[in-house]
Amino acid sequence: MTETTTQQTSPGRHVLDCCAEAEQASRFSRRSLLKALGVGSVAVATGPMVGMRAAFAASPNWTGDVLVVLSLRGGFDGLSAVAPISDPNLVKLRPTIALPANSAIQLDATFGMHPALGDLQPIWNAGNLAIVHAAGLPQPNRSHFEAMDEMERAAPGSSIRSGWLDRTLGQFSPGSAFSAVQMGSTSIPESLVGPIPVLGMESIDSFSLDGTNNSSDRARWAAVLNTMHTLAPGGLADSAAGTLAALNTADTLANANYQAANGATYDNNSDVAQALKNTAQLIKAGIGLRVVTIDLGDWDMHADLGRVDNGWMYNKLSDLGGALAAFATDLGPTYLGKTTLVTISEFGRRMEENQSHGVDHGWGNVMFVLGGNVNKGVHVTMPATGNLLDDANLTDGDLTASTDYRAVFADVLKNRTNASASGCGDISPRNHPHPAGRRADQGESIDTRSMTNTRVSFGPRPVEGGGVAPYASDPGTITSRLPPTFMPGTPSRNALKAIFAGS
Amino acid sequence: MDKAVLSRRALIAGGATVAGVAALGAGGLAPAEAATAVIKKVVMYRVGRYRYNATTHVTTVLTSTKVNVTARFVGSNVYLKNSRAVWTQIPYVWSKTKNGLVYSHYLKLKLDAAAALAAAQNSPTGGYKVIPPKTFASVSPFHSSSDWARHLLRRAGYGPTTADLADVKRLGYAGWLEQQLNPSTINDSACDALLKRLHDASLPDQSTPIWKVNSLIDNGTVNSWEQYQSVLTDLTIRALWSKRQLLTVMEDFWGNHFNVTIFKDGTAESRAHYAYTIRTHAFGKFSDLLLAITRHPAMLTYLNNRESTAEHPNENQGRELLELHTLGVDTGYGEDGVVNAARILTGTGVDSDSGEYAYQPWNHWVGPVKVLGFTNANSTETGGAAVVAALTAYLAHHPITAKRIAHKLAVRFVSDTPSDALVTMLAGVYLKHDTAIAPVLRALFSSAEFAHSIGAKVSRPYEHIVSTARLMEVQPMLQNLDAPQQVWYLADNAGHNPFGQPFPTGWADTADEWESTAVTLARWNNAINIVSNWWPNQWNRPALYDLAVGASLPTTHGALVDQVATRLLGRTLADADKNAVLTFLGVTATTALKSNSGAVNWQLNDWVSVLMDSPYQMMR
Repeated sequence: MTETTTQQTSPGRHVLDCCAEAEQASRFSRRSLLKALGVGSVAVATGPMVGMRAAFAASPNWTGDVLVVLSLRGGFDGLSAVAPISDPNLVKLRPTIALPANSAIQLDATFGMHPALGDLQPIWNAGNLAIVHAAGLPQPNRSHFEAMDEMERAAPGSSIRSGWLDRTLGQFSPGSAFSAVQMGSTSIPESLVGPIPVLGMESIDSFSLDGTNNSSDRARWAAVLNTMHTLAPGGLADSAAGTLAALNTADTLANANYQAANGATYDNNSDVAQALKNTAQLIKAGIGLRVVTIDLGDWDMHADLGRVDNGWMYNKLSDLGGALAAFATDLGPTYLGKTTLVTISEFGRRMEENQSHGVDHGWGNVMFVLGGNVNKGVHVTMPATGNLLDDANLTDGDLTASTDYRAVFADVLKNRTNASASGCGDISPRNHPHPAGRRADQGESIDTRSMTNTRVSFGPRPVEGGGVAPYASDPGTITSRLPPTFMPGTPSRNALKAIFAGS
Repeated sequence: MDKAVLSRRALIAGGATVAGVAALGAGGLAPAEAATAVIKKVVMYRVGRYRYNATTHVTTVLTSTKVNVTARFVGSNVYLKNSRAVWTQIPYVWSKTKNGLVYSHYLKLKLDAAAALAAAQNSPTGGYKVIPPKTFASVSPFHSSSDWARHLLRRAGYGPTTADLADVKRLGYAGWLEQQLNPSTINDSACDALLKRLHDASLPDQSTPIWKVNSLIDNGTVNSWEQYQSVLTDLTIRALWSKRQLLTVMEDFWGNHFNVTIFKDGTAESRAHYAYTIRTHAFGKFSDLLLAITRHPAMLTYLNNRESTAEHPNENQGRELLELHTLGVDTGYGEDGVVNAARILTGTGVDSDSGEYAYQPWNHWVGPVKVLGFTNANSTETGGAAVVAALTAYLAHHPITAKRIAHKLAVRFVSDTPSDALVTMLAGVYLKHDTAIAPVLRALFSSAEFAHSIGAKVSRPYEHIVSTARLMEVQPMLQNLDAPQQVWYLADNAGHNPFGQPFPTGWADTADEWESTAVTLARWNNAINIVSNWWPNQWNRPALYDLAVGASLPTTHGALVDQVATRLLGRTLADADKNAVLTFLGVTATTALKSNSGAVNWQLNDWVSVLMDSPYQMMR
């Protein structure tokens, strides 16, 4: 790659210690503080809804898969998870932490998967797992916050103020209270910020009205709250009624004593496994789920990444692999065929390990796509030299992202949901030329089901900023004719002095 | 030729009247005549075509028709009889050369749009004092039409407390507002003492210069994360306990208008000072606030202007300056306007060592610039800072900005759909007073529309939490100051971290944007948590019984519901609602009430929470 890139730290910024920043990022994104409080089990994302209702009327229903976006926050080291084990550069650059070829699960001639992800092997074998390698932002951004912001807003260089998932959902008719859910924490990711209402919940059984302990309690509360909202303005009354209905649904689900199917086992001590278990229950319940987001943090492994059979990375990958495998098994062919899960992380890690046996912030990364009958394989644009990790394929020491992460989502949306590309404005990767001069959508097909290449098909549904009524008049005309202080009455004769031409 | 041309700046500065009158000379209206009405025949030139020069503000009349008219002169105002024989004020200039009025009907039509604005200027208030509205009215079935004191506290503050209600009644409508508009005249020592308790060597006060905070972070004295958090904690201390309620509301208002998302990377040393800057300018001239914000390191960092160079201008702040901070989206400045604003802002940067604002001429783009009607030769690197000041002054004084700010204030304080007349009137006051905000608020609170909007707004989660806590009369603990932080955590969890909007837009303030299922459930759960004192709980507060029931126990449950509603909400419930509460309690209105009845014991938290969940408290 010839494109020169530099780390985007602003001059003079108070540069935080990298790990301190990550700590902040994880606190910010996961709100462990809030979680510890044990209150406020539901969180909220809202945005401008003005004008949305009119747009809804003619919008289609969501008929595609449930889309699950699993964010691996902190910077996932894709090169530990799925490595080009045949590449001699790997061991050279990562002498103590490289995935050894002999312990890896061989995926194809080039790539091997970390043995801690062994639970995923049956899923892979069944054709329900695809892996995209060297995916990422069009240009590297090694700041946790900024990279997440750019990815989740997915509208660089524009003043669009909503997340890409919100805009995707905005193409459709309004859904149930459960159409967009952040599961496992109450912190709504930026990808879902915007007009579409989102339910953020730690778990299904946490979606409850505090102070009510049983169904007769709930009925008493529902009766009085219903009555008291009778004369409230429409929106307030509707949301009260809707909330009471959703509480009933959640209560029924929470009391259903949900059991995973097909012998799947979710680790009781794993947050991500429990979030996926709740997600599976919502999927099977058929209550209008469209998009689910889940966060799994703690990937910022600057030091002591660990060995192939032990340590930080091993533990995290085991957690991830076990949870994903349980999810896929639990769903079974019927529901997995209606579900697509995609993992995303703000950036990959540096190719070369550091002095602390860890890896610093990098660029190109792995994305997992899990779902019924996805386009199995490791999808990657290999450089002409034949080795993924050759110098020419590195940018400032980082694996160059040759596939725009948006192209992956675009494929999923196009091929596994009925999200439309029309009316989406123009944020497709073709407008953000790839650093190598190649467009991301001209790279190798990264379709997950069909082999049809596609552009990014989610796009901006412009959200007007500021919520201010538009002013129809042309300001240029007004100001060029009259000084703004010219008013009838006192100021007038002073404000405007007429000069008669030629007199 | 009559060439006494006054610049717009001179007019704005208020120097125009004297100069203008003097320029009229003997043929015009002598100042001595100003007080009495005089009717006389004069020559008038009806203007046909004219040309207006925006730079010099000179209008050149190209064609005109000479007519004789009978005009009425009152002071410097001139009136002609309209078709219904009613004296109607006209816009005019006096031509010394022609010794006659110059009048254009076309100009008049143009200016009619501004008539309401002029009416405001000529109204008795003149924007200088709050005039208590004559009548009040509720637009909601949940609110009393006569309870102006609670109305004021719910709008110009974070809801009533017993003490603040007493203050409002003691000072009166105008007296209380005038005090709020002059916050330095309010004794706020109790709140100041709390802020002093919060801030120490490792958490410097918000007025601490940025360079100093920067060095304290560098040497490890100050933790960045705590520094960010303190901005929210400061705001919440003020919202809960400051006597300067309106100032705190305005800090939230401007903080969202000029949103710098809290916890944004790189603003640790400047974010608290940013809040301080906003508070300092909250009631002052918008033009001053705009310039201070435009040059503030927090904004320059948040919107990347510190990285902007002549060679590679970063358009982020230039765009938001037009789209969010002043004119609003799609108001005609176009992409060219954005590019030019970005060019003007190049060089407006941040010193890398101190973290303070620094004008960096070597980064400034040089060459002619144009944003709508603003033009500047911008011919030197060193002159860029002055061009920024001129641009922000131009934008602040633009009529579209005036309307937009007026509209936003009306939405915040009056209703989600304020009338055009109100917005136009407020915009006129804003322009007349050189963009000063206090006169706009005076006019707003003097307006009938405000007085007739009781119950028209819905509280957003943060406001609902804080106002419910204030109804519970919560007080700070001596042992710790954790409660304010608990409060904003709760709001954050409900999707309304007051400075947490992830985009530069800031939070919207209309009900329809806060109506989702999750928001509603969060509000209900927040209410019962606060009422029951489960969480937040690090505060002192009276027992709920003492607050809600008080010293005298009624003899029936019906009377109890009336009594509690009156004490907490200032009114009794509508019959249907009262009956629903009684059913909730499993009793009827006539069921005898004993000191051991559930309604005043184990059921009390629940049914008071129901009141807090209901539109009686949710709407304001």
